[in-house]
Amino acid sequence: MKCENCGKRDATVHLTEIKKGAKQEIHLCEPCASEKGLPGKAHFSISDLLAGITSASQSKKGGREKDVQCPTCELTLSQFQSSGRFGCPDCYTTFKDDILPLVEKIHDSSQHVGKVPNRVSAEVTLQKDLRNLQVELKRTVKREDYEKAAQIRDQIRILEEKLKGAVAAEPPAPPAKAKPKKSGESGKKGGA
Amino acid sequence: MIFNELLKTSGEWLKGAGPDHEIVISSRVRLARNLQGFRFITKMDADERKRCEDLIRKRILESGVVPETRYVELMDAEALDRKLLVERHLISKEHEDARHPRGVAIGSGEALSVMINEEDHIRLQVLQSGFQLRDAHRLANEIDTKLEEGLDFAFSPQLGYLTACPTNVGTGMRVSVMLHLPALVITRHIEKVFQAVSKINLAVRGLYGEGTEASGHFYQISNQVTLGKTEDEIATNVEQVIPTIVNYEKRAREDLMGKDRLRLEDRIWRAYGMLQAARIMSSDESMMMLSFVRMGVHLGLLPQLKIETVNDLFLYSQPAHLQKLSHAAMDPSERDIKRAEYIRGKLNGKK
Repeated sequence: MKCENCGKRDATVHLTEIKKGAKQEIHLCEPCASEKGLPGKAHFSISDLLAGITSASQSKKGGREKDVQCPTCELTLSQFQSSGRFGCPDCYTTFKDDILPLVEKIHDSSQHVGKVPNRVSAEVTLQKDLRNLQVELKRTVKREDYEKAAQIRDQIRILEEKLKGAVAAEPPAPPAKAKPKKSGESGKKGGA
Repeated sequence: MIFNELLKTSGEWLKGAGPDHEIVISSRVRLARNLQGFRFITKMDADERKRCEDLIRKRILESGVVPETRYVELMDAEALDRKLLVERHLISKEHEDARHPRGVAIGSGEALSVMINEEDHIRLQVLQSGFQLRDAHRLANEIDTKLEEGLDFAFSPQLGYLTACPTNVGTGMRVSVMLHLPALVITRHIEKVFQAVSKINLAVRGLYGEGTEASGHFYQISNQVTLGKTEDEIATNVEQVIPTIVNYEKRAREDLMGKDRLRLEDRIWRAYGMLQAARIMSSDESMMMLSFVRMGVHLGLLPQLKIETVNDLFLYSQPAHLQKLSHAAMDPSERDIKRAEYIRGKLNGKK
């Protein structure tokens, strides 16, 4: 069926309009429909878009022979391409090389800057504190200040215990008590 | 039970209140979350889905985040009841259609709903009447924080909250504002709005979200990008564009009132007459006619009619609502007769 407006392209948008009580079927092509302010099929499915982009990024690399598969959920990359849906959180790690360019294309970014779950932000803070203490420990050992080094080592042990706790289970760990007096940046994470 | 209760009121967001309510119908914020240690929905077997649903439902109920929670187990719900929830924007069409263990927790006033086992394990939604994006966002964020105290959400420091579809990854946040834009459609300026909006990376959708038509001249404007911006920035992006569109619609209305008043009055009064007199009316037709009438009320052209009546009719004239109201399953042609009868009754003063 040809578009009723231009008569050239095939009609893909079909509308039923009621004008003064009379039902009227209208058949338009997409350009004419959008000219008339009708949304029509203007947005195509997200999975179409995804499949297209992924295969494009893949073909640039010269096509890979083996289909990558996620060890956790057994989803393969080609399955993802056709469905646009991942099988589990681990897919993001498994398919990292292929999906980062895709994510970049969709969002124009590949770094999260928004909310961080409390549990994780406590952990992230602890990890940062731990790294700082380890640096300080090395420094004190170098200075041969062994008394101080022993103190720091104890603090590190406490933090490591806490970190284990924070990773293993809730509730989110409160800010580390045995904080170093002056640990450069205190690793504030912009939550909320 | 719950469905009959729902049927009694039209829901918080449809009450036609809130800032700019003539044009801004509602503001919505949705957050997508998934549990660490579970696969996403498409890869789950029935048993895992059940465990996932149980875990989240338990957390919602014990945390008390959803005031006066009513939980609907959708596997057990009747098809008609599920459709009723879709028409009230409490669940998505996909959630209605699915065939696995899943549910929805609905808060009092229907401002809040949490879908479990939709595309993501959790889809939390706050829906408010009028232009109140900030409020909706604040509330959604609070609830998310409380849920998270007892649930381990899949999160990566680089990519943020991990979602089944990469279009939601990061904040997992979709912000949308539903607008009623009949004058822009009549004056054929609506296309300009679409163009402007898509230029700044926002999407325009129909009444029931992705892939649905703009029935009744209702359009939803929402963000597409969910990663690389903070939740505040995302909300601001959408928020900023709304006043411009609202003013554009207002100007179009003024224009029609100034230049073409008789024609506009004719259109509105014809629509009103049709609604008052028709014996058979399809859903598309009633949406269209109600849209003109709604604008007419706001322009003061139909002083005898209350806006609440019109807002209610938009909801109650939809298929599942009509059938629930008449306690009978009806095929489309029976519904068209019932719809005409129902609307006539309401507009001719029957309570």
